[in-house]
Amino acid sequence: MTRNSRVAQTIAATLTGAIGLIFLLPLVFTILVSIRPENEPVTQGSIFFGSEITLSLYQHALKIAPWGLHYLNSIIFVGGTLLVQMFTVTCAAYAFARLRFAGRNLLLVVILLQLMIPSGVLLVQNFRMINRLGLFDTHLALMLPYWGSAFGMLLLRQAFREVPIELEEAARIDGANLTQVIRHVYVVNAIPAYVAFALVSLSSHWNEFLWPFIITRSEDIRPLTVGLNKLIKTTDQGAFYGQLMAGTLIVITPLVILFLLFQRQFVESFARSGIR
Amino acid sequence: MIAGAWRQRFVARALPYLLIAPTLTLVLMFNVLPAFNTVNDSLYKPARGLNAAGKPPEFVGLQNFADILDDSHYMGQRFLRAFRNTLVFALATVMLAVPLGLLLALLLNRPQRLRSLWRFAVFYPALLPLIGAASIWSFIFSDSIGLANAVLRSLGLPGLNWLGDRNLVLLSVIIINIWKQAGYFMIFFLAGLQNIARELYEAAALDGAGGFQQFVWLTLPLLRRTLLFVSVISFTFAFQTVEQLQALGEGGPADSANLLLYLIFQNIAERRNWGYVNAMTLVLIAVVLVFTLGNFLLFERDERGR
Repeated sequence: MTRNSRVAQTIAATLTGAIGLIFLLPLVFTILVSIRPENEPVTQGSIFFGSEITLSLYQHALKIAPWGLHYLNSIIFVGGTLLVQMFTVTCAAYAFARLRFAGRNLLLVVILLQLMIPSGVLLVQNFRMINRLGLFDTHLALMLPYWGSAFGMLLLRQAFREVPIELEEAARIDGANLTQVIRHVYVVNAIPAYVAFALVSLSSHWNEFLWPFIITRSEDIRPLTVGLNKLIKTTDQGAFYGQLMAGTLIVITPLVILFLLFQRQFVESFARSGIR
Repeated sequence: MIAGAWRQRFVARALPYLLIAPTLTLVLMFNVLPAFNTVNDSLYKPARGLNAAGKPPEFVGLQNFADILDDSHYMGQRFLRAFRNTLVFALATVMLAVPLGLLLALLLNRPQRLRSLWRFAVFYPALLPLIGAASIWSFIFSDSIGLANAVLRSLGLPGLNWLGDRNLVLLSVIIINIWKQAGYFMIFFLAGLQNIARELYEAAALDGAGGFQQFVWLTLPLLRRTLLFVSVISFTFAFQTVEQLQALGEGGPADSANLLLYLIFQNIAERRNWGYVNAMTLVLIAVVLVFTLGNFLLFERDERGR
């Protein structure tokens, strides 16, 4: 290795470490603040851990919102969304990947419109649509707009196309019906695409705030992000930042753990999500 | 027998439509129809079906658009400010977060000690809910006890009122977004880098090209498509990411950091502003539609070219 490139290596490593640390700092800071005694200035006690390590801020945060209920609601929201999406997306992907029918291209374009006019910007009209359907403040209202997914359909259509058609023909000769063909030929051969779609869907809905906030009113329905909002609004008045940090950690921890477990799958899934 | 055969043919004919029906219906209900309703409602005052009882909605043509583009109108003032902020926010994301994402990809593409730690460090912000990320940063930027001011003061500089000063608050929102998105953009560049054949670099090195020259003449041209793609999605995403404002002073003071979608969200329950809300939404749709469509056509053409 030449001297020049060794210098370059050192510079690159230093730069990586510096940026990495800066990026980590907010998370570290959040954790440290959440386990300090309440309202203790940073100058008091140990810089990192204060005069003692305590979970009292978590207890405070737990009192402000029913986090257990919000957890349940978030799980219902992302789980219910994903479950139905899996079904609708599989059906549509199979049709567009393997069947020929009149109007196929036109109908494909109509579905792809979802990518160009995402539900997120249609907040106002979708709010009205849900109200008209009489679904305001229900679990169904949260999930319904997401049950059709052009992104998932595209992802799976691509995966289905890569399955050799001979496999389907062989299954048909063995007497498999449509459901069996889709399950045993296509689904099993497209698992990576399903994982990618699932991770993108789960994380984006787990993190969603505006839609759940406007479409629900009662705590029986509202997911974690809306609970966090309540904590933020309490903080506005008195700057109880410690408990806000504790609450934030309550909300983000599951996804961070999920990410640590499935780091590679996450990165690969997100790399395919640009068209979402 | 004949009836059975006929039924079978009918099922075969109808099958594709049955399979796509759920997706198609939902897209029509929650994307296409609302888009048409947005156009329609933007032409009425206050709007169809939402006016005071008994009073028919009034067709006003393009008056709502004229109003939101009028700097002396109460909604025009707010719209123009939010639109300008959104443009600044989006362009800053493209010009700062995208190059940072590229830099991170270059740094983290090579084998090194602690690589998975650094990859986690730069990618985890992308996983956080925007509102959670913002709540963390609301503390970092807080006046008296925040980390940002602690750093400034330790350097002997005066602390800043990051979220209260109207000249600084948009900058704070931009900083948070760069932190949040750079790692997400990085993964597209990592994927792009992995598609470049090693031999190209070896050949370039043999020809005497140094690291910097290799980057300018080899890496950048080969990543051109990725760069364009990421720039466009970062631009369009910026028009849709506004939830952080909920934890950062709600776009204030005086709309100095307000963003278009958040302004729409703030007015969602204001019956008298319904026409304006729809006109503003239409502007938002137009921007997102044009850029996403452009990217999509480019992307598709690429796919076919392969």
